[in-house]
Amino acid sequence: MSAFGPELAPGSRTGAATMRSAAVKGRSLWDDARRRLFRNRAALVSVIVLGLLVVAAIVGPYLTPYPYDQVNKNDVWVGPLSGDHLIGTDSLGRDLLARLLIGLRVSLAVGVVATFVSLVIGVAWGAVAGYVGGRLDELMMRIVDILYSLPFIFFVILLMVTFGRNFILMFVAIGAVEWLTMARIVRGQTLSLKQKEFVEAARAAGVKPAGIVARHIVPNLLGPVVVYVTLTIPAVILAESFLSFLGLGVQEPLTSLGTLISKGAQDMELAPWLLIFPSIVMVVTLMCFNFIGDGLRDAIDPKDR
Amino acid sequence: MLAACAPLLAACGGGGEQKALRPPCPAGRLCLEYGNSGEPTTLDPQKANASWEFGIVSDFMVGLTDNDAAAKTIPGMATHWEQSPDGLVWTFHLRDGQWSDGTPVTAADFVFGLQRLFDPKTASGQAAQFYAIKNSRAVNGGKLPLSALGVTAPDAHTVRIELEHPWPILADNAAAPPMSPSPRHVVAKWGDAWSQPAHFVGNGPYLPKSWTLGDKVVVEKNPRYFDAAKVCLDRISFYPTTDAVSAERRVKRGELDLNTVVQSNRVNFLRRPDQMPGYVRVYPYVGAVFLTFNLKSVPALRDVRVRQALSMAIDRDFIVNKLFRGGQKPAYSFLPPGMLDYDGRARTYWATWPLERRQAEARRLLAAAGYGPKHPLKLEIRHRNTADPTLYTPAVQADWRSIGVKAQLLSTEVQIAYQSYEAGDFEVADAGWGGGSDAMGFLFLQRSDTGSQNYGGYKNLRYDALLDAADHERDLKRRMAYLGQAEQIVLDDAPIAPVYTIASKNLVNPNVTGWVDNNFDTHKLRFLCFRDAAQRRAGRG
Repeated sequence: MSAFGPELAPGSRTGAATMRSAAVKGRSLWDDARRRLFRNRAALVSVIVLGLLVVAAIVGPYLTPYPYDQVNKNDVWVGPLSGDHLIGTDSLGRDLLARLLIGLRVSLAVGVVATFVSLVIGVAWGAVAGYVGGRLDELMMRIVDILYSLPFIFFVILLMVTFGRNFILMFVAIGAVEWLTMARIVRGQTLSLKQKEFVEAARAAGVKPAGIVARHIVPNLLGPVVVYVTLTIPAVILAESFLSFLGLGVQEPLTSLGTLISKGAQDMELAPWLLIFPSIVMVVTLMCFNFIGDGLRDAIDPKDR
Repeated sequence: MLAACAPLLAACGGGGEQKALRPPCPAGRLCLEYGNSGEPTTLDPQKANASWEFGIVSDFMVGLTDNDAAAKTIPGMATHWEQSPDGLVWTFHLRDGQWSDGTPVTAADFVFGLQRLFDPKTASGQAAQFYAIKNSRAVNGGKLPLSALGVTAPDAHTVRIELEHPWPILADNAAAPPMSPSPRHVVAKWGDAWSQPAHFVGNGPYLPKSWTLGDKVVVEKNPRYFDAAKVCLDRISFYPTTDAVSAERRVKRGELDLNTVVQSNRVNFLRRPDQMPGYVRVYPYVGAVFLTFNLKSVPALRDVRVRQALSMAIDRDFIVNKLFRGGQKPAYSFLPPGMLDYDGRARTYWATWPLERRQAEARRLLAAAGYGPKHPLKLEIRHRNTADPTLYTPAVQADWRSIGVKAQLLSTEVQIAYQSYEAGDFEVADAGWGGGSDAMGFLFLQRSDTGSQNYGGYKNLRYDALLDAADHERDLKRRMAYLGQAEQIVLDDAPIAPVYTIASKNLVNPNVTGWVDNNFDTHKLRFLCFRDAAQRRAGRG
């Protein structure tokens, strides 16, 4: 009866208006990926749990009744739920909950910062090697191969001995070892990306190689890189635990998950809570990262299943 | 996948019988696996300077005197000895004996051994303990030739030792490795390499067979030892067990027969009937743990008020009674009790004050010295990475935090820690000292002319003069008075902060016999044996 046209009364919904709004609101690939990610139950739970852990690590140490470094002289080796120590105390009477939260903070910080270091170096190295190709690529990848064959712990000890026991240095040392795999992955992705039409088009348009790498290659690497980042963080946390277990990591009174587990393992028979709680937190954290990484990989590249 | 898992599960469920991972012992022989707590740096008896080194080398040589299983002095290579009436000349009469290569041991070998001890080129850390011997200090300082040393051999079976002052405990100290003889012919041939297992020649019950760095030192019975028939064990392997708790588990499994360190706060746990009740051997020890302040490199520590404040603020009762509970005692003096020639009369002036008063006074002293919340004192405590120091240093750090001092902890491997201390590479050092029976063995550490073992570089000429006076004093009561005044100077000047006196703690399998607890924690290897030795030799057990 009424014809389509702009003189329709305002406020009334017609097929054309709904069709127009439907046409404007599209569905991007990221939306698809997000939808797939959140449909993955394990990944979803992991995101929530990890979020809670991160909040606990950031805010927790300020909220606990006892500071993490306070020696409570009458509370040596007190078990969980006794008095005001929720999960007990250690051999010096320090509250385990506070130490666990600060340890989680240290481990997460090391994980994030070291991964960021490895990300920056690895992406730059891999992208340049993959894009430029030829002799430079071969040289750069051979360097990666050689560094790969170095025993990790030997290298870290060397760095720590040369530059002293700096907490920051530990981030750099671990990051400097983890970038190798990132570089290989990025190079592989770059090799396949540089064949794509949009890269050819950019080259034909006269964009400099540096510009192509920065504006076309790197942003398209985001998918696999993000996945790998969520898998590197747990590896870095484990590496830091290993170093702390050996006594090369953080110094007293600061602690990390690895140090807590190492001390807990020593006094296992006397104070099992010192081992149980840090282990649970570490396992849960690492599992969350792994599930999220798996979920991201499935979400971003479903055909890789 | 399941099939592959099955044998694994069967192995796990196999029951309690666990095969101990001991290295194989040749048939008919007896082998002991000895957890020795640290890696030695030398096998040369004149150079050894740490308790874990002495544990290995003190059976390579027999000195003029020796120790029985309870560490009492008995005749060694000397069958009898006498002193001159003024106590300044001792004469030792030797028995016949051989080196392990068949050459006879003569008095000249003892002269040579002592000359090596004081030879500046040997640079022995133990030399200063024996400065009672005539001219030894001058020889050790390079001012006199070796031939001027007051040790001579009038004939092949007589050793004559002249002293600077009467030294009643010379007979006891003659059993120690620094005073052992050295095989002249071997040292002349091989130089410093003579003490390597391939070249080593000794006259004691055991000889080094092999030394694999980081793995073990293996010693074997010396058939030419004059009492070899009575020696039970054929082979002993020493492992550098730096981790006390994992060593404890190895002892429990039977992989090690004993370990010379136990983490203090596990002693009561191990004594429980269901743990390792017969294994724990705790005994008082003539030793102490103290913190040394580096007066050479840290300007803040040159102020005596700062040092006293730091020392008095430490809650020793907490460390000893709550943290360790392993037989230690709080220390308010430099010397531990148990010295043979000293009654331990000196104390810090705040020894009887309660903790709150001490910490309040410490804050006041630091403020007077210019340190406070706006200008906090920052220090680094370097400590050994073994169990007990790792446990008590955070307590010290917390005590110092409550008086406004920010302390960082630096954990270092034991040998490296001591090397750093001797090189002056520290601000505050955690160290242990002990094992000797005379007060001078402790007091010499703070003499200005002691060298690298005076870690902090303390210099007080009045202190040195008191020790010199004690050295030359023949009246034992007056001598003790000098020692008391000297120790009081150390406690008033506080170049060190005493923390606690040590108890020796060993974990010994009840099957091992011949391990007798004593004040010096000396356990000569030739007395060790197994309760079931006969069965072991026959191939069982």
